[in-house]
Amino acid sequence: MYRSLRAAALALGIASAATVPALAQDTVTVGAVEILSGPASGYGIAIKSGLEMAMDEINAAGGVLGGKNLALIVEDSAGNKDQAVNAARKLIGRDKVPLIIGPTLSNEMFAVGPVSNGRKIVTIGTSTTAAGITAMGDYIFRTALPEADVIPVTFKTAKEKLGVKTIAMMYANDDAFAKSGFDSMKAAAEELGFEIATIETFGSKDSDFSAQLTKIKSLNVDAIAVSALVEPVAGILLQARQLGLPETVRFIGGNGSNSPRLGEIAGEAANGLLVGSPWFIAKKDELNQKFVTDFQARYNKAPDQFAAQAYDTMKIVAEAIDRAGSAESDKIREALLATDHTGVMGPFKFTEGRDPASAEGVVVLTMQGGKFEIFE
Amino acid sequence: MAEWLDDFFFTYETLIHGIGVHGLLALSMYCVMAVGQLSLGQAAFMGLGAYTGALLTLKLGLPFYVVLPASAFVPALIALLIGGPTLRLSGVYLAISTVGLGEVLRVIYINFESLTGGALGLSGIPMKASVSLIYALLLIALIMFWAVGRSRIGRAMEAMREDEVAAGVMGINVPVYKLGALIVSAMLAGIAGCLAAHSSSFIGPNEYGFETAVTILSFALLGGIGTPLAPVLGALVLTALPEVLRPLADFRLVINGMIIVVAILFLPRGVLPLRLRRSA
Repeated sequence: MYRSLRAAALALGIASAATVPALAQDTVTVGAVEILSGPASGYGIAIKSGLEMAMDEINAAGGVLGGKNLALIVEDSAGNKDQAVNAARKLIGRDKVPLIIGPTLSNEMFAVGPVSNGRKIVTIGTSTTAAGITAMGDYIFRTALPEADVIPVTFKTAKEKLGVKTIAMMYANDDAFAKSGFDSMKAAAEELGFEIATIETFGSKDSDFSAQLTKIKSLNVDAIAVSALVEPVAGILLQARQLGLPETVRFIGGNGSNSPRLGEIAGEAANGLLVGSPWFIAKKDELNQKFVTDFQARYNKAPDQFAAQAYDTMKIVAEAIDRAGSAESDKIREALLATDHTGVMGPFKFTEGRDPASAEGVVVLTMQGGKFEIFE
Repeated sequence: MAEWLDDFFFTYETLIHGIGVHGLLALSMYCVMAVGQLSLGQAAFMGLGAYTGALLTLKLGLPFYVVLPASAFVPALIALLIGGPTLRLSGVYLAISTVGLGEVLRVIYINFESLTGGALGLSGIPMKASVSLIYALLLIALIMFWAVGRSRIGRAMEAMREDEVAAGVMGINVPVYKLGALIVSAMLAGIAGCLAAHSSSFIGPNEYGFETAVTILSFALLGGIGTPLAPVLGALVLTALPEVLRPLADFRLVINGMIIVVAILFLPRGVLPLRLRRSA
């Protein structure tokens, strides 16, 4: 028994020694911390795909710093903040990367940020949309548009094109992502002078929303804004139609509703839902069309917004390394601040506060027959 | 400090903290299991300690040597309050009611937004828990458990674990021992929670739920409960394993799970199946 365990341990030791990548001098290595296992691994895998595709394109076009190859080490966080910190520390302490892309979730970023910022390692979130991320330190960037930038665009469209005046709001109050989105929704609604008829909460694992929806139905609102992940949003849409809420009452979703899964679960019940997105697969510009075709050919599936954001981020990073003229974290940080990039999400710059500068690329989408299309 | 040593320590600092904190949690689990109780409230007590500690540091700016005892005191108080009714239960019924405690607290953290930050949790907690502090506390706890385990109290606890009725007939004050064990375990879990909060800079309401409770239980199951050292060893193995296996990339969690299954199958009494000897 003990002998067999020892043999197993030995085998593991050999395996681990063999998988340490041999890095040549003429490569610039950056790190990434993403969720590659567990229930939320879909996000991390999409991001990894986008990063790797961008990296290969960069290397095929001559790499960075005049001929050096760009390399990427992706570590798994399993969606756990402690593992995310361990992964980031490993990338910084052992692999000596000057820059980390990720982590995937805002919660993970709140734990990783102080550590990497303390070591002056540039950290760029591609999917972390919560408020307060970049306020953690001078080395924390993000390329994901915060909800606070996307939601006002959606709300404004609803006001101008649909004449929405009174709205009801619903959000999952046990989920940091949903709560943060709701805060942005409330601020945007107040800004635009909407009359907020009621604010209802639910749990992110709830499946019965009839009490909240019955109350909202009696208030005769023009629209209902929902901030939650896709499963509860789909449940709400299905039950709203069962309760006979008229189709003229529009649902407005946050970033959580921006998923093809919504159409798959809710089907026709999701018709007319509005959502703002930093990226859309059917955006007509040439750059985006090429990205979608190449991604489809390489991974045999359609890209989502997480892959698109990651793809742009990798390109932005490569450009910054070139501008910096060296792979040192401090110089990359300076160069990043001067970013002026046109990617698949549209034109991109950083603000002084290291957030995306403009919400120009945001498209408002609407659901029709289980599929998103651009809202005209 | 030599540069490689500095880098090594930086790389594994969180892991080293985590092993120490989990060691304290394992001891907290050991404490209730030593009197034959199955409590799944350890995660809840840990959460109480974490929130108490983080709030005292963030809102009142108290020094850490005040914060740490306070975050042991609050869970102890709650343990005293709920101990009366719940300790009449035993076995899975006690486990279920202590899971309930965790759920109640989670809902409070979520809804008491002005204080706890709701679902967004508390971030920006200063990193005040040092390696030396964590391991000094772990060592003290281990020595105390060792000393108590070899004493008359330890024998009484072992008697209760093997047969509660018989122990009662022999004149052991069963309810008092049970309540005492619950309070001590709550204090330990609270301290562990406070140390964890002050080493990771962020805490959220969903970190102290059922999953964490089961993780803490698994420390004791893997390590064994014959001696206080065993569950700490279990915590060490379970905490370090995912990081040790990191080079395996995609197969990491598969191998991790397999090692645990093999250990439970072939070492049913834990990786350290020893018993404490009685003092002369």
